[in-house]
Amino acid sequence: MRKTKRVLALLCAAVMVFGLTACGGDSSKGDTNASLETAGGEAASTGNVLNVHIDVEVASMDPQIATDGTSFEVLAEVTEGLYSVDASGSPVMALADTVDKSEDGLTYTITLKDAKWSNGTAVTANDFVFAWRRLVDPAVASEYSFIASIAGFKNAAAITAGEKGIEDLGVTAVDDKTLKIELDTPVPFFESLLSFPSFLPVNEEFFTAAGANFGTSPETILSNGAFVMTSYEPAATTIELAKNPDYYAADSIALDGIKYQVIKDAQQAMLAYQNGDLDVATLSGEQVEQFKADPEFNNIMAGYLWYISPNQTVAGLENLNLRKALALCYDKAAIASNILKDGSIVADFAVPMLLATGPDGKDYRETSDTYLSTNKEEAQKYWEAAKKELGVDTLKYTMIVEDTESAQNVAQFIQAEIQTTLSGITIEIEVMPKKNRVERMQEGDFEIGLTRWGPDYADPMTYLDMWITGSPNNYGFWSNEKYDTIIDSCKKGELALDVDKRWEALKEAEKIAMDEVVIMPVYQKGDAVMIKSNVSGIEFHSVGVTRRYNNATKK
Amino acid sequence: MKKYLLKRIGVSIVTLLAILLILFCMLEFMPGSPFNDEKLTADQVAVLNAKYGLDKPTIVRFGNYIKNMLTGDFGVSYTISKNTPISTLLQSRLPISIRIGGQAVLLGTLIGLILGIIAALKHNTIWDTLTTIISVLGVSLPSYVFALLLSYSLGFKLKWFPLLYAVDSPLNSSVLPTVALCMFTVATIARFTRTEMLEVLGSDYMLLAESKGISGPQLIIKHALRNALIPIITVLAPLIVGLMTGSLVIEKIFSIPGIGSLLVTAIQSNDYNVIIALSFIYSAMYIGIILVVDILYGVIDPRIRLAKGDGNE
Repeated sequence: MRKTKRVLALLCAAVMVFGLTACGGDSSKGDTNASLETAGGEAASTGNVLNVHIDVEVASMDPQIATDGTSFEVLAEVTEGLYSVDASGSPVMALADTVDKSEDGLTYTITLKDAKWSNGTAVTANDFVFAWRRLVDPAVASEYSFIASIAGFKNAAAITAGEKGIEDLGVTAVDDKTLKIELDTPVPFFESLLSFPSFLPVNEEFFTAAGANFGTSPETILSNGAFVMTSYEPAATTIELAKNPDYYAADSIALDGIKYQVIKDAQQAMLAYQNGDLDVATLSGEQVEQFKADPEFNNIMAGYLWYISPNQTVAGLENLNLRKALALCYDKAAIASNILKDGSIVADFAVPMLLATGPDGKDYRETSDTYLSTNKEEAQKYWEAAKKELGVDTLKYTMIVEDTESAQNVAQFIQAEIQTTLSGITIEIEVMPKKNRVERMQEGDFEIGLTRWGPDYADPMTYLDMWITGSPNNYGFWSNEKYDTIIDSCKKGELALDVDKRWEALKEAEKIAMDEVVIMPVYQKGDAVMIKSNVSGIEFHSVGVTRRYNNATKK
Repeated sequence: MKKYLLKRIGVSIVTLLAILLILFCMLEFMPGSPFNDEKLTADQVAVLNAKYGLDKPTIVRFGNYIKNMLTGDFGVSYTISKNTPISTLLQSRLPISIRIGGQAVLLGTLIGLILGIIAALKHNTIWDTLTTIISVLGVSLPSYVFALLLSYSLGFKLKWFPLLYAVDSPLNSSVLPTVALCMFTVATIARFTRTEMLEVLGSDYMLLAESKGISGPQLIIKHALRNALIPIITVLAPLIVGLMTGSLVIEKIFSIPGIGSLLVTAIQSNDYNVIIALSFIYSAMYIGIILVVDILYGVIDPRIRLAKGDGNE
């Protein structure tokens, strides 16, 4: 009796252990299926395929739902819109063949090139109308719906707010090849904006047939771009693209395919790069020192501006001299070169470098001034003046910071700089997840916050628009009538019609914001990227699609 | 026996329901929402909350949540893979995690047993000391240290195995993660086996078996190991559970598309539904394993049941 039970017990244990392996058996069957499905991507595993490291999964392959850089990067290789940007970031016509702009800048008539979707159907004007209506449709609830209003599409804001139907959007398909776009106001950077991934077309018939599965597998992702999707699943760790033979400019594509590999561990990513598994890999801040001297090391300027936002409803921070003292007292050069070391640069401005090109063909920063450069003596003078005006000797503020390593390091340095330069001021740091920090700042529940902003389009307005009265990103609750007037006129007033005057007015607006210390700029983010020496032609941008591979070659 | 079984299953179900309630409350009290993004205005957040039913009163959401969870509908992901049903995400990921975990348990148990037996048979020799050193290292070093060491040595330097998990070569590319993951199991099983074997080897029935003329492998495997194994089964359960948590880090390092790496990403991005679904699955597995072990105890050792007042059948 006892013996049988022991045998039984052993059997149970064996079943338990083998049960687990049996599940394993099932999964390898699943894997076989998966690789069968991607048999078309055979080319992608050998030959002239670019292996790219990404550090986060693609969140969506639906152009109107996607919001993150990684999704944009993959979407742009698979789908082509009316415009894309060249290596320098200037808009170039992609699917647009001819563009006719009315004199008042309010109507664009665009004809399309002959292009095909990967299922053989032609790309038509309706593909754009359908996609753009989805973008503003409250039922779709696209997080980027606001970009349609920024582009000036007639009735876009009213539709998103639920006041008008989607058919009222000022976009019509005149015929299969002609698209008519009506704007509420002229938008000087309209062409550049149309290269933004939210404006990529979607084929209505295919979308309807795919239903809820749209954009979740190679079968439910339609391509009209340089590459077709051959391996993908939601939150995939590997994504494979193969060259699209039906792409209208297929001859200009040198790569046979692109393989994206998600690696979240920075150390493992670099090991894989050195092992030859990757052609392009992003370095984390702490790895920069180690690889800086490597000829394959590249510094890329990103559009992100990091700055400190003082909440002007908090006692003391409404005082201009105090804000000036705070803004001038920390050593920005030390932050960029000693703490971040990733190619970030000192920010003495509110509008970053290499963001926007003006009517003169020059970068915005080239022809505008710098502001709030570090000057500790000046800072102390302003602090003395502030003490008198406020009638205090000591002040204490809490700075909220997100929990990334770099943000915390920068915050601690600034804390030390303020406390040593401006005696009497105490700064406490409160660390929290980014989503909490954003929530606290949007609700005004903070004193000082270290925050950042990434541009949505290649125009200074993507920054300057933040600080108008009542803007949800005007965390500091600053308000200036003159500033509001300039911005309003640049957006939809007379300045909107005169590009040269508008450009100068934007510079004036930046000067007001900086003179009043609405924000205290800290640095403009740089990225450190390793690129194998046999790879060339990868284009990096600070706005929209940040990396393009359609002109890349691998020898 | 039946009564004992029913009672244990009942307790497990109640525990699972309590976990559901706790999960809901924890996420309810968590600051921030999936849609706190600097690019979103308050109006847009309101539209998104309405779309996903997050604007409804807590009690209504709790009702929906319990109803959905019990019918196996985990909802959709908000941020990791926007609008994708979580069941779709799990379909391909769960088997991978279970397979690598299973491989680690099997391999770890096997190596652990062998090491333990050697240590016991060669008691107080250099082999015994070596096994003890391996055990101490295996228990004290976290699995990610092994993962990095293995990646560097066997993957990068010697190029025996790929550095990253590849769906199209699931066996070859899962060698390094399996080995990294199984070290703790190896160490624990080896220690237990050694202790149990030493005890069994010194027992009267071994003496009897030997005096009856049984010797060699038969004596060790049939008489010594089998008796030593039974207590080892009891440590296997917590080890399997330990593997689940170890997989969170290992999956991240080797880019394994499993549920461990998914959970880490979900927590970082406030993806409520994914967090709830995965925590629930982890809890269910944990409770399931403990239940199986409890039942096994009862089968192995009638005294456990007797102690609970349930007579032998």
